[in-house]
Amino acid sequence: MSDLGTIALMIALAACLYGTVVPHLGVRTNNWNLIRSAQNASIISFFLIAIASGVLIHALVVSDFSIFYVWRNSSVDMPMFFKVTAFWGGLEGSLLFWILVQSFFAMVVAFRYQYSNREIIPYVIATLNGILCFLLVLLLGWSNPLDLQATIPAEGRGLNPLLQHIAMVVHPPALYLGFIGFSVPFAFAIAGMIRGKLDNEWVLTTRRWTLVSWYFLSMGLILGGQWAYEELGWGGFWAWDPVENAAFMPWLTGTAFLHSVMIQEKRNMLKIWNVVLIIITYGLTIIGTFLTRSGVVNSVHSFTQSEIGPAFLVFLAVVLVVGFALLFRRIQMLESEHKMEAVLCRENAFLVQNVIFVGMAFTVLLGTTFPLLAEAIRGTKLSIQAPFFNTIMAPMGYVLFFLMGIGTVLAWRKSSKESLRRNFQNPMITATVGTIILAVVIPFHLEAFTIFWIAIFVTVTILIEVGKAAHVKGKQLQASPLVGLIHVFQRNQRRYGGLVIHLGVVLMFLGFAGTFFSEERDLTLEREEMVPLNAYYLKFTGVEQFQVRNATHRAAIIEVYDQDKQLLEVMKPAKSFYPTQPQPLTEIALRREFLKDLYLIFSSESGADSELVTIKTYVNPLVGWAWMALPVFTLGIGICLTYRPRSLTSRQEVLRQQYIAAEG
Amino acid sequence: MWKSWKFWTVWIALGGLISLFAFGFTTDPKKVPSPLIGHEAPNFQLINLWNGESVELSTLRGKPVVLNFWASWCVECQQEAHILEAFHKRYGETVPPQVHVLGVAIQDKSEQAQAFARQFHKTYFLGLDNTNGDIALEYGIYGVPETFFIDPQGKIRFKQIGGVSAELMQEQVDEMLSQG
Repeated sequence: MSDLGTIALMIALAACLYGTVVPHLGVRTNNWNLIRSAQNASIISFFLIAIASGVLIHALVVSDFSIFYVWRNSSVDMPMFFKVTAFWGGLEGSLLFWILVQSFFAMVVAFRYQYSNREIIPYVIATLNGILCFLLVLLLGWSNPLDLQATIPAEGRGLNPLLQHIAMVVHPPALYLGFIGFSVPFAFAIAGMIRGKLDNEWVLTTRRWTLVSWYFLSMGLILGGQWAYEELGWGGFWAWDPVENAAFMPWLTGTAFLHSVMIQEKRNMLKIWNVVLIIITYGLTIIGTFLTRSGVVNSVHSFTQSEIGPAFLVFLAVVLVVGFALLFRRIQMLESEHKMEAVLCRENAFLVQNVIFVGMAFTVLLGTTFPLLAEAIRGTKLSIQAPFFNTIMAPMGYVLFFLMGIGTVLAWRKSSKESLRRNFQNPMITATVGTIILAVVIPFHLEAFTIFWIAIFVTVTILIEVGKAAHVKGKQLQASPLVGLIHVFQRNQRRYGGLVIHLGVVLMFLGFAGTFFSEERDLTLEREEMVPLNAYYLKFTGVEQFQVRNATHRAAIIEVYDQDKQLLEVMKPAKSFYPTQPQPLTEIALRREFLKDLYLIFSSESGADSELVTIKTYVNPLVGWAWMALPVFTLGIGICLTYRPRSLTSRQEVLRQQYIAAEG
Repeated sequence: MWKSWKFWTVWIALGGLISLFAFGFTTDPKKVPSPLIGHEAPNFQLINLWNGESVELSTLRGKPVVLNFWASWCVECQQEAHILEAFHKRYGETVPPQVHVLGVAIQDKSEQAQAFARQFHKTYFLGLDNTNGDIALEYGIYGVPETFFIDPQGKIRFKQIGGVSAELMQEQVDEMLSQG
């Protein structure tokens, strides 16, 4: 069976090579049939790669340990769900998953835009196939998940128990979808530069791809944070680990790109900048993958050091060199047609925001690679920890957060001082009053209160903006503001979808602010004794052992009471023992409330009958709000996706009709 | 274009970044020099895995000591097992022994450690770190295997992270023996 998969991958590689080379010939000889054959090659390669993936999934399901990857990442005792998701649980399998999605995207793009972007689509197909060729060579040459092993063990090593968590099941594919998605706008930019067609069409065509990629990248980051919070048991969710940074960098530049393309669309400006941003963003997705898999930087959760690092570095070099060489070749065509008209305009707010986003990405890159730089230059080993990142990133983050509110009310081209005063007065007063009230209720913390002030400012700005628009529309239609609101959202999906996403960002920042008030305590509890903690009383009643899926849990049973000594919940922080793992793992117990989380870790027990236990406790205010950003993002992106630029829709329809008519 | 500073900045930055990553392949970020090197090896008492006899590190002064941290569940420890045993046969079983070899199993259970020792025919002194992992903590162990080479004066001369090779052991011990 495994041979079938490998052979399918080899043929897929041939098909992708065909798809890389033939579109150029098709354009040169003006032979559309050749280009069409390249389109068909992308269908073939997708199905072949799907067959190989099917073979691997089947092997995982039936625990076929003759395949090395299956032995290493799965075991008989694992629940079926995790057996299937072990497909992307390890290095080799995740690469195959990557290729599967990449080939699916390549196939969709090849057909979806065949009429509308006819001038550049051959080169888009060639670029996406080129990327696939590289990945397939990498897979077949260095990390084939279908490789067999000489002896067949009876039991596998099992998926790392830390990864047997629902957030970890969704987190990697979400990140991959984000990473891979950015290859589409990248391919369009490259194709446009090769062909010399550098109007705004590539930006408009790939708008949804960019949005969806951004969404999945955000989802990956949020779920990654949630997983770290619930599974790693240190009470936090972000540690500036190189692997986290690797996913965060393309998110930063991708977010910048998402905003700056709007300036190109509206004002025909920043064309060079947008090409630079997409090259950098795609480059950073490759750097991210490279850092995770090459072992060149120290990280707690990198894959084991593998041989594919140098090959990835070559690919990264090719992507960046080709991208920038083409950019310099076409740079004159990309010069802007307009200049900024005033200082106070939305374009400028976007521009400043873009510079900060890129500055943040650069900071993260510098911090992540600095240990390497130090070793290369001075031969010293050092590590860059959270304080470096927090010191630089936090102020930049707050400025961005503030700009989010400013940008909402600034007009394109020019805003008058009078309108600014009018628009900002109320939000600023509300934010200041709100913050003062908060300062009475909770202890003062400068950074947290800065966030609170901006959060209220941004929220009020957005609400007033939406409220005003709904009110005016309602009046126009002689209907209620609610009907007006629906109309407003329907008519300008992109703007209002974007504002919804901004509300999600507000939630996220509030989640961060909560960490400043986090309380950490070690408690030693005697059986049946009531111990006060924050607004609770904890009572330890005994130690229990029970089975959860394939793990044995040994848990301290903790009853949680409120101030009136009413029982709220029985919590069971535990240590879990997996059959294939020598070390027990921490299973935290979490009580989520609207304003705070109670987070318990079972540290140790003592006494012949476990009369005493030590529990590490955290009370984490507002953390849950950061996770709430995800559903809000989903809603916002959903609204944004319904928008299609009218100019593009009508132009594409005309082109489609023309080509269909010409082909008879 | 060739005269534009932007042009050259981009290429120099790209060249620098790629070279930096390429340099990354020549080093291992996990290999951090131990601050213990050149310092006295922390003393400890180790209880024999088989018979409960104990040995104190300080009593072994006068001869070099090879101190190996291992665990029965560690794959790399299996790979270096025969190298350590062969080394012990050559230097540790002479009368008097030229070098002492000690193996400390960390995060392990007695039965599993014994099974491992039987499987690889280990004859040198093996013991289990206590449940708090005090010895591992004293030596700053963050993975297995790690091996310390302690000179006859009780100072740590070298620390190997990851499995040892026969050549490495030979080289280190030759150096320590020639010094003292």
